[in-house]
Amino acid sequence: MIRLCFNKGTILLRGEVGTPYGKWDPRVECYRIKAMHYWDALAYLKESKLAFQDDVPNLPPIQQLNSTVELRPYQKEALDRWRHANMRGILILPTAAGKTYVALKAIGLLRTQTFIVVPTLDLIDQWRKRVAEHLNTEAGAVGGGENTVRMITVSTYDSAYLQAETLGNKFMLIVFDEVHHLASPSYMQIAEMYIAPYRMGLTATYERSDERHSLLPRLVGDPVYTVGVEELAGEHLSPYTYEKMFVELTPDEQRAYDDEMATFRLYLREKGIVLRSAEDFQKFIMVTGRDHRAREALLARNRALKIALNSDAKLGLLGRQLEANRNEKTLIFTLHNDLVYTISRRFLIPAITYQTPREERREILENFRKGEYKAVVTSQVLDEGVDVPDASAGYILSGTGSTREYIQRLGRILRKVEGKRAKLVEFVSKETVEVGISRRRRHKKATED
Amino acid sequence: MLPSELLAVWKRKGDIWPRYARATEDSLEVANSLINAYKDHVGEKKSVLKAFASELEDKGYEYRFVRGLAYLLDRKGTFKCNEGINPVELRRRIFQATEELGLATTPERRRRIVETVASELKVRSETVDEFLYADLDSELVLEEFEPLAPDELLKEYNLSLTQTLLFDSTELNFTASGNWQRIFYAVKRLGLIYEVYKDGRFWVKIDGPASLFKLTRRYGTATAKLLPTIIANPEWTVEAKILWRYTNEICRFKLEGWKHRAMLKSPQQPKVSYDSAVEQDFAEQFQGLKTGWQLKREPEPVPAGKQVIIPDFSLEKESVKVYMEIVGFWTLEYLLRKMEKLKKVEANMLVAVNENLACEKLANLEKNAQLNIIYYHDKIPLAPVLRYLEGAFQTVQTRQTGLLKSLSVIFTEPFVNYEEFAARIGVSTEAVKEALTEKPPEGYTAMSDGLVRRDKLEQIRRKIEEQLGPTGRLPLPDAIRIIESEGVADATKSLEALGYKINWHGINAEEAEVAKL
Repeated sequence: MIRLCFNKGTILLRGEVGTPYGKWDPRVECYRIKAMHYWDALAYLKESKLAFQDDVPNLPPIQQLNSTVELRPYQKEALDRWRHANMRGILILPTAAGKTYVALKAIGLLRTQTFIVVPTLDLIDQWRKRVAEHLNTEAGAVGGGENTVRMITVSTYDSAYLQAETLGNKFMLIVFDEVHHLASPSYMQIAEMYIAPYRMGLTATYERSDERHSLLPRLVGDPVYTVGVEELAGEHLSPYTYEKMFVELTPDEQRAYDDEMATFRLYLREKGIVLRSAEDFQKFIMVTGRDHRAREALLARNRALKIALNSDAKLGLLGRQLEANRNEKTLIFTLHNDLVYTISRRFLIPAITYQTPREERREILENFRKGEYKAVVTSQVLDEGVDVPDASAGYILSGTGSTREYIQRLGRILRKVEGKRAKLVEFVSKETVEVGISRRRRHKKATED
Repeated sequence: MLPSELLAVWKRKGDIWPRYARATEDSLEVANSLINAYKDHVGEKKSVLKAFASELEDKGYEYRFVRGLAYLLDRKGTFKCNEGINPVELRRRIFQATEELGLATTPERRRRIVETVASELKVRSETVDEFLYADLDSELVLEEFEPLAPDELLKEYNLSLTQTLLFDSTELNFTASGNWQRIFYAVKRLGLIYEVYKDGRFWVKIDGPASLFKLTRRYGTATAKLLPTIIANPEWTVEAKILWRYTNEICRFKLEGWKHRAMLKSPQQPKVSYDSAVEQDFAEQFQGLKTGWQLKREPEPVPAGKQVIIPDFSLEKESVKVYMEIVGFWTLEYLLRKMEKLKKVEANMLVAVNENLACEKLANLEKNAQLNIIYYHDKIPLAPVLRYLEGAFQTVQTRQTGLLKSLSVIFTEPFVNYEEFAARIGVSTEAVKEALTEKPPEGYTAMSDGLVRRDKLEQIRRKIEEQLGPTGRLPLPDAIRIIESEGVADATKSLEALGYKINWHGINAEEAEVAKL
């Protein structure tokens, strides 16, 4: 008898038969198939009219769903396109355009075992909450110490990757939130090791600078719907103003900054190193592993950037701004955790970093949403996908200037109040222009997992 | 295992090695000063220890080495949040006060907020500042530290480096001198797949299910976790393919027990332990019997195709080997699968099955007569085991005797010792003796311990004739001396074969005489 079974993220086909989708595995002496090709193999066996036993799916029980999701016209269109593409494909919608609702509606329609994969623990909380609100059922969670599998289960990319061996045969629909992450070499194995025939990818930033997004159609389906910010702005998204404020370092800071940068530049000049691209920088970092002086130079540069970043003048300006705009709901963004805590201690503002206990983080966001906390300071952990409670003012304490995309991303979590436009302000240190390096680093960060 | 950014390597022409810490004066000095720092700083914050480590870096010691050691030492200590005030609760109060009094944009307002909360909690303002973020990692306090010797730390560091390198492995090949049951159990538990092959030695190749489809580091972490079990052996060799993360090239990594053992922390070789009292009981009882069968616990794996069977025991007598497996809970399917595997093995396998723990009717099992099964309740009965062993021995011997008889072996040497010959061709002495005594080869006479060539016997006869003298008799000791000087051990049989008899005068061999029949 031919038998199909799930084996650690793959399918084993036992019996004297192969399929065009499998590969002979001499180690176990039978055919092995990628979980992603399970349905193709199944269709092949059925077409061939072969008798077989299928032990692959191990689906959690179906729960009662009561879907109350109402879609806006563009959301409805996105969903329709996806359904017409055999319930596979990627939807490209700007932040705050309500991607979540499209997915919730799809789940409500399919009423099947669904796995939602998200980049952060915050997003797990957020999705679970939405599922409870709009589908009236409790979702399970995998990641961040939790491990409960239910009909609808939310997981981080990390846990989905690490636990593919045991979770791969438990879902029919898989939703990849911020699907551009899936294209990384390790995360793409999630798509390969789960059997789910129905797949939905959601993102606001489909394209990756490393071009790996070209792998996504094979894993999730083609981009089936795209709508840009411009088309939605005003109507569904709030507009905001953006302003740059320059700060001068204090004389002491400026001196220290210049010294450190001189050390760094001297080294580069001596060795004839030119840092023009992210690759150049990566190469330089590798050299620092071998060459003590290169490392010294790198550390000097880092110290300089830290001075620019943590400048006292900048904190003074922030204080004045906070005071002047004390009734605005305010978010403060920084690049480094150290600065988050410096600001939190100085102004006694709640802080959120990767070190914040999960419960406390939940409570802070909740209080901010309710308006009980006026301001929150955070490092980059909130800058993607998280449904941050709407704020009317945002401050970015960057070192030397941020990329346009980065500004836009932060800007989209702002909301206008009482007819007034929301504002986003970036503090940049004058006379510390290492814009190139700083931008490249952020650029690199954005393309990493 | 270390964070991958602390991994330092050497790379040359496709080979890769971790930069191991040698036990040089310098390295030992760094290890020692760090250990002492942890010892001396019990009760202080983690950030103080970090500062100490970066001082060492500033002195010019390799930063990954220093941080790697510190990383391992962190794990030997327990860090705790200072007790007194719960920081989370304190922050909640502070932020609430801020909402009421306004953000602390001036030092004046900040003081007011802190004082308000301090008086609520009946503590001093400084205490509020001190505890505000006391739960941050860098603020945690070293509560306890378990010191170790500097060279031990270096060995542990080297093992961790090796494991960290293996995170990026796509495949591991190894050979080891033992510990097999544990190794294969770990392989299974870690979700890895193995293949075995012989290349002089018994080799195992390790990767994972999805390795079939693509080169992947997915199983690197599991492979790294397997390493300590492999190197808990006296002898081993490990070879891995590393997909180096920064350049995406495949590098070779090789580690050998005889060469590297001394600088790696070697996990304690665990004592032979028994899975169950039944096994232990059986082993002890059997060994107490003096049956001539050698019992070995955890014998080396038996290859079955590309897989292996690791029996609980091997029982060996001369060249006959019987494996024994003790089965607790079982189903017919389980036993049949086992049987399927056994078909690929040229070995005798005896399966002891617990009758009480049967998940299916025994009748189902009886139908499959291919299995050699012994039933037991609480204890494995020895009689049927011995009966099986003797049966197996007989069968093997009969088969071997038959084989030898059908073979026409041509001997040329003057003596053929049965035991040596049996060992040489891998059969039992009994079988050789039986076959050769029954029909000695042309030109040979069979003795009790071996064959003697006829011309050799003639030589002995001539020497004895010379000594017989006029009486036609020769003292037995003299005859024996002659025979033994020719290298033949069995004097009695030789004399008989040459047509002499021994006249005994009492029981003393000294007084016995040899005479012609």
